[in-house]
Amino acid sequence: MALLDVSGYKHNSASQFGFKHAHLLDGLNHYRFGTKCQEFAVPVGVDPSKFLKSCNSENGVSIDLNHGTTTLAFKFRHGVIVAVDSRASAGKYIASKEANKVIEINPYLLGTMSGSAADCQYWERLLAKECRLYKLRNKQRISVSAASKLLCNMMLGYRGMGLSMGSMICGWDKQGPGLYYVDDNGTRLSGRMFSTGCGNSYAYGVIDSGYREDMTVEEAYELGRRGIAHATHRDAYSGGVVNLYHMQEDGWIKVCKEDVSELIHKYKKGMF
Amino acid sequence: MALQDVCGLHNPPLFPQWTAPLSRSFMPEDSTHLSGGGIHGEAFSTRLPGRGGLSPLEFYMPIAEYLTESPINFGQTSLSSAPTKLLEIDHLHPSLPSISLPPPTPCPISPSVPLPFTLSHGTTTLGFAFQGGVIAAADTRSSCSGLVACPASPKVLPIHSHLVGTTSGTSADCALWKRILARELRLYQLRHHRRLSTGGAAKLLSHMLHPFKGTELCVAATLCGWDGDDEKHEQPFTEKHLNTPTNQMTASNSTSQSETSVPSAPLCGNTPTNQMTASVSSSQSAASVASAPQPLIAATAQQVIRSRSRICGPRVIYVCSDGLRLQGELFSVGSGSPYAYSILDSSVYWGMSVQEATAVAREAVFRATYRDAYSGNNVDLYHVTAKGWRRRERENLKEEYYRERERERERLAERNAEKKAILRSDDG
Repeated sequence: MALLDVSGYKHNSASQFGFKHAHLLDGLNHYRFGTKCQEFAVPVGVDPSKFLKSCNSENGVSIDLNHGTTTLAFKFRHGVIVAVDSRASAGKYIASKEANKVIEINPYLLGTMSGSAADCQYWERLLAKECRLYKLRNKQRISVSAASKLLCNMMLGYRGMGLSMGSMICGWDKQGPGLYYVDDNGTRLSGRMFSTGCGNSYAYGVIDSGYREDMTVEEAYELGRRGIAHATHRDAYSGGVVNLYHMQEDGWIKVCKEDVSELIHKYKKGMF
Repeated sequence: MALQDVCGLHNPPLFPQWTAPLSRSFMPEDSTHLSGGGIHGEAFSTRLPGRGGLSPLEFYMPIAEYLTESPINFGQTSLSSAPTKLLEIDHLHPSLPSISLPPPTPCPISPSVPLPFTLSHGTTTLGFAFQGGVIAAADTRSSCSGLVACPASPKVLPIHSHLVGTTSGTSADCALWKRILARELRLYQLRHHRRLSTGGAAKLLSHMLHPFKGTELCVAATLCGWDGDDEKHEQPFTEKHLNTPTNQMTASNSTSQSETSVPSAPLCGNTPTNQMTASVSSSQSAASVASAPQPLIAATAQQVIRSRSRICGPRVIYVCSDGLRLQGELFSVGSGSPYAYSILDSSVYWGMSVQEATAVAREAVFRATYRDAYSGNNVDLYHVTAKGWRRRERENLKEEYYRERERERERLAERNAEKKAILRSDDG
């Protein structure tokens, strides 16, 4: 992979992409582990994909990896709007009402997180590291397309092993505003409008009907807020606050952080 | 169930050990036979003498062998070993208290019927109530896994003049149960000289579906109807909001109507005590009402409202074959429902006009068909008011989609032209 070489990204099994080399680490040093090059310590004889197959619902124990959240992003004339909710749930338990689901990779790149919180945070921080290294080596910022491709290739390396991540990489580079959707299956799609998570269908209804390419900035903010608010209203796994970002030509700004219950109350005033 | 008795659904005691009076003979073998697991090769069918046919909860049970084989092989089964056996069962005398019994369920113990093809339930239906009645809307695509079996199937079926039901789930099941419900409601109307309320119809449907809980029956219906005694009660429902100052206007405007409806108010179940409470509260509201003659109007309006809001008006009730029965103001069912819900949540409110309501319903179904693969083709819209249901012209959403695309294209063209003009003016 040319891009990986340029980035100097070393993977343990980089020689044959798709082959997973597992070499025994004798004299495992916990302090220096993973600092020079990326490595994972897996017990001998463990095959993650086989383990996961035994965990699907047909065979009894079921580990349902749902992307429990709602995030949305859309491109319009004046940039990219990114809106996310803030509920982190562990089954029925709400682990956090104010989780941060947007990672600020650099002043021109944002990544959203949906799916397993741990996976998202780890891999997107890794992506942030790689973007920074790219900038230092090449003296110019990485493009959105390249950043999303890096993330996508990381996902493909662990395909079938149970990662759960649905992320949107948003940024502004030389080609203009960029929006890519990257998945734990290795899906990478460029588009004008995406919504991820289990509340995505509710958000799609709202933003589909209100979207126009030539919206004003205020209208776009309101559309993003409404999309998340209505999704949290109907979806049990979304809630908390709406974190709204606007990606402009000279970087992103954080627009607002509003509680969804207050938003819904405001929208429904005068209704039933 | 009182309602089933009133409707005249007399179930024969097919599980005789459950009824109190034992006025007929039965053999213990029959009961094991009925539970389906036991004796192979013996089919049975039940026939009710005296009713001239089956009661709605009676179904012919297929020969046990049919159930263990694929439906494709129906024709090849040898019929020689399966004489139909008539069970001699007298049905309960109507005057005896009958415990209504579940009819024989389609063999809960025997292996499930192998399906000839995979069923899937894809649709978008919605129903909501507002001041001008009830709107029920649905798409028209019947899908069967990946195949669009019918692009023009009606999913909103009228049940009687003031009740419309949306269907979701298995099309065959929905159509059958809607017809059964329509028949029972008609019988009720003939016997009791009034229409059964939407709540009553929902309860009836839910109880009829309950015996099939756990089987593969799948019906999710939203019953949308207008309850009312007669068509005289046609006033707009804005009177419901008594606190708004504008209500004084509407109350005075509709004095003539409320005058005529007051004498008929007792029909709505208004007792003399209600009139007392109405006048008491009217004296309180008299303080807020400026002029003297208005308290009288407010009292009559309030009296009518109290009785009407309890009994008359638009109703939306969701009934599911799981046994769930929910009353609400807004429901959307089907695979496309999440897309519709967000639009309905943001735009539906009680005081909306009829045009707004139809526009919102159309938009919600359109958005759902836009994103959901199993919904599409046309949109059917029914509007139920006190006068009955009215059906709108079936509209093909393909045109709406192309219209939207055209609009976007025009806007982009405009924007490019603007840009060019700006560039030209910069140069010049």
